[in-house]
Amino acid sequence: MITIALPKGALLQDSIDLFLQIGLDFRAFLDSSNRQLQITEPTQRATAMLVRAQDVPVYVEYGQAQLGIVGYDVLEEKSPQVAQLADLKFGGCRLSVAVPQESPYRRSVELPPHGRVASKFVQCARNYFRQLDLPVEIIPLYGSVELGPITGMSEAIVDLVSTGRTLKENGLVEIDVLFESTAYLIAHPLSYRLNPEGLGEWVQKLRENALCN
Amino acid sequence: MRIHQPPAGTRDLLPLEVAQKRWIADRIQGVFHQWGYQRIITSTLEWVEALTAGGAIHPSTVIQVENTSGGRLGLRPELTASIARAAATRMAGDVFPQRLYYNANVFRRTPGGNHGRQVEFFQTGVELLRAGGTRADREILLLLADCLGSLGLEGCSVILGEASLTRSLLNLFPPSDQGQVRACIAHLDRVGLTRLGLSTELEQLALLLFDLRGEPRTVLQKVSHLNLDQQGQQVVHNLKNLIERVEESASTRLSLILDLSLIQTIDYYTGVVFEVVCVQNQQSRVLGKGGRYDQLLGLYHPQGESAPGIGFALNLEEVYSCLLDSEQLPRSAPKTDWLVIPRDDQAEKAAFDYAQTLRHSEHLVRVELELGGRSPDEIRQYARLCNINRLAWIQADGKPEIEVLENAEY
Repeated sequence: MITIALPKGALLQDSIDLFLQIGLDFRAFLDSSNRQLQITEPTQRATAMLVRAQDVPVYVEYGQAQLGIVGYDVLEEKSPQVAQLADLKFGGCRLSVAVPQESPYRRSVELPPHGRVASKFVQCARNYFRQLDLPVEIIPLYGSVELGPITGMSEAIVDLVSTGRTLKENGLVEIDVLFESTAYLIAHPLSYRLNPEGLGEWVQKLRENALCN
Repeated sequence: MRIHQPPAGTRDLLPLEVAQKRWIADRIQGVFHQWGYQRIITSTLEWVEALTAGGAIHPSTVIQVENTSGGRLGLRPELTASIARAAATRMAGDVFPQRLYYNANVFRRTPGGNHGRQVEFFQTGVELLRAGGTRADREILLLLADCLGSLGLEGCSVILGEASLTRSLLNLFPPSDQGQVRACIAHLDRVGLTRLGLSTELEQLALLLFDLRGEPRTVLQKVSHLNLDQQGQQVVHNLKNLIERVEESASTRLSLILDLSLIQTIDYYTGVVFEVVCVQNQQSRVLGKGGRYDQLLGLYHPQGESAPGIGFALNLEEVYSCLLDSEQLPRSAPKTDWLVIPRDDQAEKAAFDYAQTLRHSEHLVRVELELGGRSPDEIRQYARLCNINRLAWIQADGKPEIEVLENAEY
């Protein structure tokens, strides 16, 4: 039986829909009364485990799950050693630099040297500003990053933006995009090479269905 | 009070674990001996420059020990470089081929922070030097199968690649794209391949190359339809022979997976490359790796003279993990056969003499001497705890009184 790591949160519904299209039903995870972290689909061919998005590549890298679905943003941030097999095209968002509306900065390069940038994406932010040759202090936060500039702790934030509503409601504007992100299908490299239980065929089906959507 | 611990990523092996790992190493060593391989011991410390000369080892993965005026010293992360260095210099005039094996600890640093990940590993492996050709390749693969068989490891898979064939296939791409295509394939980054901006035709070829793995005959069939140069065709021919012969004569069932995407971004392999994988309880472990390196020895030779080589290394920790459920693995540290107890101080010399006599038998007899300070009952209790079932009580005149503990566990 193959094991699949599915991300909690924004990508879950689309991920479950995609697996349903290829005949693997994990809809039990969507039931609000469900507390199970691991379920086997009715045909007994696959098990899915529900984990935090950031942990999906961890389970896949260590081989506890042979397949996983995770945002490209997480792959960029954590650089896990996993096979990146398909861009599934859903869950589109972007990693952006945002500043308060009243801030004088309208491009990343205008930020003051040694200014502060709050982010959950510490590696991505660090690499981005390094490429701009702009020394900044990255402040790692685990959530509600928007509070960084609001409280005056940082000049800017680097965070995921999908509709832009959260930014707007908190008086922030997007000034630059680091990269666009969508959901990716990833695999444990060794399992992908060994191809147990027709893993490759599942991958092929997922890829074809993702292209059709 | 200060607690002294071993450094993160290292550990102590206690007697039972030592007995189990010795059992594994002894089996494998027995097979190496049967195939005519001789042990070589190289230095744990090497010049970092020598370790990284082959290009496959990044200095950041070497634990560096000291920066001297002569250069940087580091702990070896593998043995192939050290053996190639020794073979290309001090052993250069020896007869060939050279069949060498090793059983040693190696050290690897995880770049970018260590969360307690293992840094010291035990490896055993072989290098068959100054021998090219498919017969040597076959010897190494069959020797590997023999090693796994000697441990009772059934159902292992060997993922087999061919570095020169993959190189030939990469030569179908414009030189400016080859590096990126190679990197994407080495990292199994299929999405990356489709983002390189290759022409439709080249992208199709790249994706085909990405998927060139599976049942060997099917894969070779696909490869034969590609526009290979003459050298590439020869390699395909040799590979076909090798696979047939290994499948014919391997005593242990090895399932071979041909995987032409099994490459690194940089490595010293020039021919067959392989990984042995064991899958248990849905957990796959790489037991070992190896391959052919026909340019490596030249890097260490004073005049740059090259010579072919092929070898593999088995990771003893991974082999051990796969054997944990095996009934053959020793379940206890070796037990002592005899406990010799002097009745009093006057009997001490006689007791030592008697113990020595017992030790000098034809087969290994383990004999302990009671060091005193406890009563006969305490001594018997100790013997029972340690599974010692023969007690020899010695009197000053040297006369032994033998007591057999019936209920000692075996």
